Amino acid sequence: MSKDRVTIGLLVLLIFLAGCGDQRILERTGFIQSTSYDLLPNGRVKFSISLPKADPEIKVSREFLTTVALSGKEARIKLARETNLMLVSGQLRTTLFGLSIARAGLWDHMDTLLRDPTISEQAKIVIVNGDAHELLQKNYKEYPRTGQYVDRLVEKEATGHTIPLTTLYSFTRDYHDDGIEPVAPIVKDAGQNIVVDGVALFHGSSYVDKIKADDSLIFAFLRGNFKHGEISVDLTKDTKESKTAMLSSLASKRKVDVRHETNGRTTVNMQVSVKVSVMEYVGKFRLSNDAQRHTLEQQISEIMTNRAARLIKFLQEKKIDSIGAGIYVRNSMSYRAWKKLNWYEEFPNVNLQCKVKVKIKDYGFLR
Amino acid sequence: MTNTDVQPQPSSSDNQVKPSLEHTLSEFQDCIDLIHRSYPELHIDLLFFGHQVDHDRLYQDIMNPLLSGETEAIPTILKQSRFIRVRDSKELIIGILSGKAAIFFLQDAFLVDVFGVNSRAISQSETETVITGPHDAFTEQAGTNLSLIRQRIKSSHLKVIKLSVGEITKTDVYVLYIKDIANMDYVNKAIERIKFIEVDALFDTNMLLQYIDDAPYSVFPQFLTSERPDAIGSKLIAGRIVGIVDGSPSAFSAPTSFFEYFSSSDDYYQRWMLGSASRLLRFIALIITLSFTALYVSITTYHYEMIPENLLLTLTESRSRVPFPPLYEALFMETTIELLREAGARLPTKIGQTIGIVGGIVIGQAAVQAGLTSNILIITVAASAIASFVTPAYVMSASIRLLRFGLILLAGIWGNFGLAAGVTAIVIHMSGLTSLGSSYLTPVAPLKLKDWKDVFIVAPFKFLTERPSQSRSPNKVKNKMKK
Repeated sequence: MSKDRVTIGLLVLLIFLAGCGDQRILERTGFIQSTSYDLLPNGRVKFSISLPKADPEIKVSREFLTTVALSGKEARIKLARETNLMLVSGQLRTTLFGLSIARAGLWDHMDTLLRDPTISEQAKIVIVNGDAHELLQKNYKEYPRTGQYVDRLVEKEATGHTIPLTTLYSFTRDYHDDGIEPVAPIVKDAGQNIVVDGVALFHGSSYVDKIKADDSLIFAFLRGNFKHGEISVDLTKDTKESKTAMLSSLASKRKVDVRHETNGRTTVNMQVSVKVSVMEYVGKFRLSNDAQRHTLEQQISEIMTNRAARLIKFLQEKKIDSIGAGIYVRNSMSYRAWKKLNWYEEFPNVNLQCKVKVKIKDYGFLR
Repeated sequence: MTNTDVQPQPSSSDNQVKPSLEHTLSEFQDCIDLIHRSYPELHIDLLFFGHQVDHDRLYQDIMNPLLSGETEAIPTILKQSRFIRVRDSKELIIGILSGKAAIFFLQDAFLVDVFGVNSRAISQSETETVITGPHDAFTEQAGTNLSLIRQRIKSSHLKVIKLSVGEITKTDVYVLYIKDIANMDYVNKAIERIKFIEVDALFDTNMLLQYIDDAPYSVFPQFLTSERPDAIGSKLIAGRIVGIVDGSPSAFSAPTSFFEYFSSSDDYYQRWMLGSASRLLRFIALIITLSFTALYVSITTYHYEMIPENLLLTLTESRSRVPFPPLYEALFMETTIELLREAGARLPTKIGQTIGIVGGIVIGQAAVQAGLTSNILIITVAASAIASFVTPAYVMSASIRLLRFGLILLAGIWGNFGLAAGVTAIVIHMSGLTSLGSSYLTPVAPLKLKDWKDVFIVAPFKFLTERPSQSRSPNKVKNKMKK
């Protein structure tokens, strides 16, 4: 009986001793929704955060704070001196990295993002072509809060696969994985609004170059399988009959084949089959006519194959295997052989071929 | 109170006192409602409580035959079966108390049942309403209740055992079961426990249950109570035992499981899909009523990460004017709702409606405008209050409402960890509970998947072939239709 009493007493004590020290009461908390990192010439980091404001008495929709510090968490401590809210990172949606810091390498700055357990693995990484601080600071009149604006813009564009959706998780995975390099969407300030500028390519965690927005869907073909994409193909240069075609409901499937030639060269064959619906077609072909439609399919396939080949050449020149061909090469050989191979140096020498095959599965109501 | 035998049995021959008019009259001294009719020329004395007997029957059964005839004919008339010869004074007194008339003829005493009190007519159940299906409900009179059950189960296998509880009140308790369907272990256990009760007074079924349940310190009811004869009938058919207490409009059934409290007769009177849907809805309501407010408290106090982006700002905005931490805010609102509920339950229906309007508009609207609570909390509290009334069994919904306060407190102190710890503690507690010795969490623990089709959903009737495993019935099959 007395033992029970002691137990109950201890349990009651536990309630009173809990102390509630780590409370984060909603209205007293500042949720960092977007952060930006820029490298200053003196080697320090300009760190900016944007917090949404919900107090009805305050007219502005967000709070924007900037400081210069060595690391993200040090910056947070400095920034906390400027605000009445308790700064927390658990609602972080987007981290913007300026081109300056992206060139120098992101990995050092990602440490806090990955280590802090409150930060979601799903937080997005976005590269800013220019100064990330300035982009985040600017208020775009016709759009929601800048942080949310970028977040929604990137998310929406990623659903159409014009840019990859790069989260902390996917970036870290590609960073650590052998035979693939991380990529991230890149945006830039266009005066009145923000535009998606293409796909940023990394070597390790350092920015190397980018792929233009127009080519980013071709890049998506090469990087993996996906559904729901859209692309507009200019046919004026390569064909006589047609001017342009808009392809929608794109479903792309990639097949990779690796062969080691006797002369020591490695050949990687990529077969991309794309099923599309034609949403717009300006030209002479009647799409209901099987023969004519097949001709069009072949023409589009050829154009796409050429564009893919150009893209692969570009990647090989830059020595960055962003499409993950290395993974297939790695899987085709022994661990020892792969370890001996310097894929970074080897990649430009690989005979990388890509063939895109387009199939029109639907051409709308117009005959 | 002095120790008298719980049961009026004439068997104890040692301290038998021969019934006599003088002794009986002295027992009932100062009871002015006792009527004494004396007919010296016939040597007959009549004793009865005027308000306990049916006067028509009194005249028809006793007065007319006895008083119209000759003195010589009286012994022959008294041999008729309705006149029961009594040899023990105690038995006689109990007989008079329970509405019988006592006849003293020369040296002999007889009892005649002319019981007839005015009671409430059979009416609709206030606490367990159904939309389709029978509407009649038990009344305060055990006899009426028994007849309601007999009307539904016309079987000689339906056995009724009469017990008496209460040293002073001498309340009749009837234990019902269907022979060859109910497990006799449960029947004997229940009877034994009821016999074991030694109290002065018993007024209601729920009172009795607190004397006989397995874990008196638990918040959960361990016997299912119902006011509906059709529901109680179905329990009998399921192989459970049923108890009726005289003076109480609710009958109980046992053994019972936690999940049984979430089924209503309505589930079976509607198409099985609708029945299944509303049963699932009740389990969802259980989760809502237990955890919704607690979740609000823990999220707004600790786990801001869990809130979706769009909700975050609305939530923060509505919280921004509130001067209290979420825990106090939630406790304040929950207490208000409980006050409203309690006031509504105690007041007559017409005033109760006014209370509802005052509570709904004044407290709901004004508390937000005054900046005392956030409107999202009002929605949360209201949703969990409504969800708590979805539970068909009032006793269970009251228990769950009480537990909710504990969870809110834990959520305010430890956040989601506290909430999880609280729910875990409840589950641990429930898995230790028994009802008449059978597990309270059947068919989840012990796992009886076969029962699930009649517990969590209502499967089409042709699949409901067996009685629930909890009743351990010797005759398992209840539906012999070919599939």
